[in-house]
Amino acid sequence: MRTLFSDVPRTTLTAFYWAFILYLLLPLTLMMAMSFKDANFVAFPIGEWTFDWYIKVMQDKQFLEACIYSIMIAAAATLAATTLGVWIAMLIVADGIRGQVVLFALACLPAVVPGMISAISLRIFISTIDLPTGTAAIILGHTVHAVPFVVVMALTRLRSMPGNLVDAARDLGADSIVAFFRVTLPYLKPALVGGMIFCVLLSIDDFVRTFFLGGYRPTLPMLIFAKVQGGMSPEINAMATLVLVVTAAVGLYAEYFTRRARTR
Amino acid sequence: MVSSNTTAGYGTAHDKAVPKYATGIAKVVNSALYRYTLGAAVESRIGRVLLLAGVPLIWLVMLHVGPIYQMLKISLLSHYPVQPGRESAFTLENYAIFFRESIYFTPLIRSFVFATGATALTLVVVYPVAYYVAKIVRPEGRSKALLLLLVPFWAGELIRTFSVIMLLANRGALNVLLRDIGLIDRPIPMLYTSFSLGFGLVYLICLYMLLPLYSAIEKIPSPLLDAAADLGAGPFTRFRRIVLPLSRDGIVSGCCLVFLTCIGVFATPMLLGGPNTVLFPETISGFFHGASDKWPVGAAFALIMLVTSLVAAAIFMRLVGGRKRRAI
Repeated sequence: MRTLFSDVPRTTLTAFYWAFILYLLLPLTLMMAMSFKDANFVAFPIGEWTFDWYIKVMQDKQFLEACIYSIMIAAAATLAATTLGVWIAMLIVADGIRGQVVLFALACLPAVVPGMISAISLRIFISTIDLPTGTAAIILGHTVHAVPFVVVMALTRLRSMPGNLVDAARDLGADSIVAFFRVTLPYLKPALVGGMIFCVLLSIDDFVRTFFLGGYRPTLPMLIFAKVQGGMSPEINAMATLVLVVTAAVGLYAEYFTRRARTR
Repeated sequence: MVSSNTTAGYGTAHDKAVPKYATGIAKVVNSALYRYTLGAAVESRIGRVLLLAGVPLIWLVMLHVGPIYQMLKISLLSHYPVQPGRESAFTLENYAIFFRESIYFTPLIRSFVFATGATALTLVVVYPVAYYVAKIVRPEGRSKALLLLLVPFWAGELIRTFSVIMLLANRGALNVLLRDIGLIDRPIPMLYTSFSLGFGLVYLICLYMLLPLYSAIEKIPSPLLDAAADLGAGPFTRFRRIVLPLSRDGIVSGCCLVFLTCIGVFATPMLLGGPNTVLFPETISGFFHGASDKWPVGAAFALIMLVTSLVAAAIFMRLVGGRKRRAI
């Protein structure tokens, strides 16, 4: 009797978990299913199925240009954010430096400021330094957004690093720079690869910063937003599905990579 | 510092034994360019400190603090961008406008109501899920159970919002389903209402709650729960007396994360909200785009929003968090 009773919460929670998964996946599944509808309006039931929207999207020059533009911005922002994030993390863990708490708080500031306010403040900032809206401004904005995440990931890894590794390198004659590139950076690598993939996804998904900092060339989210406001069509679903499949695959790979690095 | 010992052992910096490197790094390190620039810099303490702290400090001050500072500065000006021939004077008028006009502060209150409601709802819904994954799923299956929850997370803000439209539109899945089973004759207008906005917000942010809760609950030792059960505590008592207090850190950080994200969401209210559900970000954005180009007012409003949301989060942390949290 007692075992039966104690299983009630367990089965309820299991059911709840699967209901939650259903809730999470249902809208995305519907969105993907709609991309196969053979009609140029969005409505259920789907009726006739077709692949035409995908063919159309793959030939859409605007979409392909937005893809390339988004990837370019993501690559530049990721590279900048990783360099700066690791540099800041090195400063925070360095011994003999005071005010580490303040430095850490400063490094995390952009992660605490709500996205919209961050975008506005960057828009004002670039106008005060006379930087026009456009590619450079977007990259700057995405870098600011991504740096805190890199700092936290690098710090976690640096804290678990045995201090004598760098000491040994220094005793063998390597100067601080060589010791960093030959010892610390390789040790950080697994955390950084995960962090970099996260930065790429962050940048590709970002809408609000791009909205305020961007020029006339649309990134992927901007293009999808403009199309949604312009009117629904299964073409948008096909576009969004393609983006979703690619980003999910990249995210899955990042999970797999960091998990493998952790267990090794 | 270790290096001071090594250099002292070799006398001056320049007759120090050159370490042998197996790879091309030796070419770089031994080149004259490197030795007289970076190599010389790291030999002195000041050089090392500059090399380590220079770029990070400039970046942190310029780009993490700078934009907020500029926003504050502009919010106190009467005109910006400053036109030639016109003086831009110091004023508090931009802040005063907010308190005078209800069309401005209603959206802020609405933003707070939606964010608070979405945070509370997310907490209630996600807590059992996090508990299930952390305590009931066997350790080997945990990463798979988590991974399944992370899939929508990779879809991005816009695509997740867009997919909610598929569910709630007049000819969306829910209305068609209800019509087909005969519950309704004509579609219930669900899109562009408070309902669709709330649904979309919860759908957008629920995963930010999951990870903090999961890592807090996972740390609770299972023997503690077994001991309580052996001593006769029922599931509810165990939850109230052990799980809830010990997962408080996760609740606090999850709620703050969700609340602050929710406050700053921009695209979702624009796509899912209607004319009666204008949130504060949309109000602010109006000052930067379109005909009314009043940057100082927009900057002042953004600051009001930043300060009120951070204060709200801090009060929540103080009330629920209780004891002092670790600094880093």
